[in-house]
Amino acid sequence: MTPPNDDQIVLSAEMMAKLERMELISRKIFRGRMKGERRSKRKGQSVEFSDFRNYVPGDDLRFIDWNLFARLDRLYLKIFLEEEDLHFYTLIDDSLSMDYGSPSKFLTSKRLAAALSYIGLCRGDRVSVSTFSRSGQPLVIRGRSSTHRLLGTLQSAQCETNSPTMEESVRRFCLKNTGKGIVVLITDLMNKSGYESALKMLVAREMDIYVLHVLSPEELQPTLTGDLKLLDCEDSDIREVSISSTLLKRYQQALDGFIESAKSFCNRRSIAYVSVRSDSDIEPLLNDYLRSRGLVR
Amino acid sequence: MNWINMLGPWQWLLLASIPPAILSLYFLKLKRRECAVPSTMLWRKAIEDLHVNSIWQKLRQNLLLYLQLLFVALLMLACIRPGWSGMNRAGERRIYIVDHSASMQATDETPSRLELAKAHATKLIQDAASDDVAMVIASSDRASVEQGFTNNKSLLLNGVDRIEPTAHTTDIREALRVAAGLANPGRASFEDSVDVQVADAIPATVYILSDGAVGQLDDTELGQLKIEYVPIGQPQTQNVAILGFALQRPQNTSESSDKIEAFARIVLHESNPANSSPADSTPIETTASLYWNDELLDAQKIKLEPGREIGLQFEVDRVDSGSLKLQIDHPDPLPLDNVAFAAIRPNRQVNVLLITNGNTALERALQTSRIAQMAQVTVETKSFLDSQDYANAAADSKYDLIVFDRCAPKKMPEANTLFFGSVPPPDIQPTPIQPTPQSTTTPTAVPSSDNSNNISNSISNDTTNSNSDTNVNTVTNTTDANTDSNTDSAWVFGEPTGPVIIVDVNRSHPISQYLEMASVGIVESRTVKPPAGGTVLMIADIGPVCAVAPRGAYQDAVLGFDLVRPTEEGTEINSDWGIKRSFPVFIYSAVEQLAGGITEASAPTVQPGWPIHLTLSNRFANYEIKNPSGNLTNIERGSDGRFLFTQTEEIGVYEVYAQGIAEPVERFCVNLFSSRESNLQVGLELKTGAESISATDTTIRARQETWRWWLFIALGLLTLEWIVFNRRAFV
Repeated sequence: MTPPNDDQIVLSAEMMAKLERMELISRKIFRGRMKGERRSKRKGQSVEFSDFRNYVPGDDLRFIDWNLFARLDRLYLKIFLEEEDLHFYTLIDDSLSMDYGSPSKFLTSKRLAAALSYIGLCRGDRVSVSTFSRSGQPLVIRGRSSTHRLLGTLQSAQCETNSPTMEESVRRFCLKNTGKGIVVLITDLMNKSGYESALKMLVAREMDIYVLHVLSPEELQPTLTGDLKLLDCEDSDIREVSISSTLLKRYQQALDGFIESAKSFCNRRSIAYVSVRSDSDIEPLLNDYLRSRGLVR
Repeated sequence: MNWINMLGPWQWLLLASIPPAILSLYFLKLKRRECAVPSTMLWRKAIEDLHVNSIWQKLRQNLLLYLQLLFVALLMLACIRPGWSGMNRAGERRIYIVDHSASMQATDETPSRLELAKAHATKLIQDAASDDVAMVIASSDRASVEQGFTNNKSLLLNGVDRIEPTAHTTDIREALRVAAGLANPGRASFEDSVDVQVADAIPATVYILSDGAVGQLDDTELGQLKIEYVPIGQPQTQNVAILGFALQRPQNTSESSDKIEAFARIVLHESNPANSSPADSTPIETTASLYWNDELLDAQKIKLEPGREIGLQFEVDRVDSGSLKLQIDHPDPLPLDNVAFAAIRPNRQVNVLLITNGNTALERALQTSRIAQMAQVTVETKSFLDSQDYANAAADSKYDLIVFDRCAPKKMPEANTLFFGSVPPPDIQPTPIQPTPQSTTTPTAVPSSDNSNNISNSISNDTTNSNSDTNVNTVTNTTDANTDSNTDSAWVFGEPTGPVIIVDVNRSHPISQYLEMASVGIVESRTVKPPAGGTVLMIADIGPVCAVAPRGAYQDAVLGFDLVRPTEEGTEINSDWGIKRSFPVFIYSAVEQLAGGITEASAPTVQPGWPIHLTLSNRFANYEIKNPSGNLTNIERGSDGRFLFTQTEEIGVYEVYAQGIAEPVERFCVNLFSSRESNLQVGLELKTGAESISATDTTIRARQETWRWWLFIALGLLTLEWIVFNRRAFV
């Protein structure tokens, strides 16, 4: 396997050093499967007192509150908050429309997924990375030692010709993953069948949903001219246009409306919507924008 | 706004093709560049939004097209030069008179003088300023306006193109009158006899493109006309021409009646004496060939000196009817005048009416077998003169000859007349004679002692002293110095006196040539003096007592005495001529010559384009005339009872046919016979009275307008700009 070019590296060592100081945070507290560094609502073994309960035979005698027995002459057990791990899911849209732009949206998406997943790995979170094509077979890793697997998977990921739709991919994801956590959906939302049903499924899962809407500069400000036959990358739809200032203006309006519509949809459903340009730097995006949105700290 | 079409058909076609070309460029299927996009979702939405405002969008998208079409429409409008009637005009007026007479058919210029004149006229029109108005007149012996005043050069050029060569003579005065009609408007006379100019004079420049043989212009008032004379033709051009060709039967009675004498007058016109070279003064030897019905009869070698005429005589026998053609076998620039035609008029039976209350000698003289062969004689009494039948017959030319014996009608009939002892009605007097432009003559080079008097063969021609609007050429003998005709313009009848002794008889006139009157006794007679153009047949001691004179198409013979005369007791013999042998001879000759039983051997001839009056038998209401090309034309009797034929454009022999008769009943010829047309010297100046107009250069400096070409280039650039701007490839 040939080493990737510098402009194809999803996560540089320098970046990794910066990301080790970050932590993924969730607006919701979710129950993890394994002991992690996050307080969980589950009662477990930690130093933080949570509550008392009646002693039943078989409980650990170390957690009997003897002071309370002395006063009430009854046996009560101290309950402490459990420290659990966070489930961090990353779903990357690998449809052909993502392989557009300079740099391509897919590369940016992989970089974002790598950065956020690495943060989770550093904190012992359970990280699940998959693309739409492999939403039923995600890469689930934990711990910093799984970094190479993370990077290897992301580096080798390619846009797929027959990538399933967003709705299908999210459905598969929801069926596969019953737990809760943070799910970051990195996509361009250029799905002709719509994104609403997919996001609704995620909302139904009561996950902390982040939608990173990745668009290329060519999409945001197209520089097309002349009489063109536009070819849709995904379904080979053809549109003949004669580029004019009026048409570009109409396109801009349509794009702004699309973005606004997505943002509005997400906001109404407590989905964090983040607009990302594919040519923007990851570090300021993570440090500033995602931090302000509450995904990292 | 008046529509002035400035463009020709192909120019209209070119202009009309520009908008469709632009439209087709705009709407042709385009080859589009393929461009991959992540999704057409947003583009589709953008296009749909665009289509929502499709009406305005279409307009906005096509605004460029509309602007360009509007621009093209403005350019096209500029090309057709719309205008409106206005009072102000800055250009000058021009009149182009192109001579298309016979002399302009000369081939000393290639291809002919007329074509060169038309080329010059075309150039003058093209070089004229765009706001100049002009008209084109074709001139020969009459003027024809080919194109009225216009500033449309296409129309003017078409007018020039329409001018065809003719064999007519030239009289440019009518063309100048037409031109002067504009430049010199008419004046109105009012009751106080003050002439007032009714319109402003508009000066005009007249360009005369001719070889100079335009006739006399002495009496032409040019007024506001400025004449520019453009001579056409080579200055040194010799030409052989036949100036006269006539037939007659020999005067000598010993000759057989079927012998014909043909006389011709031939001239070699020299080139301009001032410019002539020694070679031009060399005599020309050539051959004159005589054809009978296209069969060669005779030929003579002739030698022509430059500037001199010669006479030719041929004797042809055993011919009684048909046509003769004389041809000069010498190639020269004008072959029109190298051929001449003459025809022998066919015999025909005539109708004779005798009105008498009884004249045995006269009646018997008209009942001879010789007369019966050529005439049908009807005898009526004097009371017949008052009948409607006579009036109808006189008006309808029913009779070829009416003999009035001691009587006279109230009005001269439409027939030849012979008056015995009576004074004709006043309307026998002829109308004033108009001067003729040309007269062809019988040859004068033939020596004959009896040829000193007139030999007229104008029995059927309209002479110059009647119906001046027809102006038919007259064939007369120019040697009238020895004529015995009265030079007065009217008949003069004396009072009866006597006794009378005939002292002289005109032996040269066919009516009287055989008469012996020495022993004829006449008790009483009146003198009869014919008008100018008439011929005295008998002279008595008291003066002329018998004469014949033309009256339009007819001839009137008046005998100053009768055979019998009325007295108180009844009638008595006035003359014993009736029992003399010369009397029936006289009657026969009179019927032959006056009624046209056997007319002059030579058929009448006219110049090309001139009409001819035909005196034909009144038995047929219409006749057919076959021209030399063989085309038939039907003619009907006119209101005056005569037949007028005007289609004499072609030189040759014309034959007149009556229905049901295979042989022609009459013939006449059309010959050029014009010394002025045959003389191909190019006049270097025109003389109008005291003024002399010199030849001018045809080069006229004028501003050439080129804006049309720039306009067409602009249209082409606009079309090219459309192609380049859109950078479209055609699919």
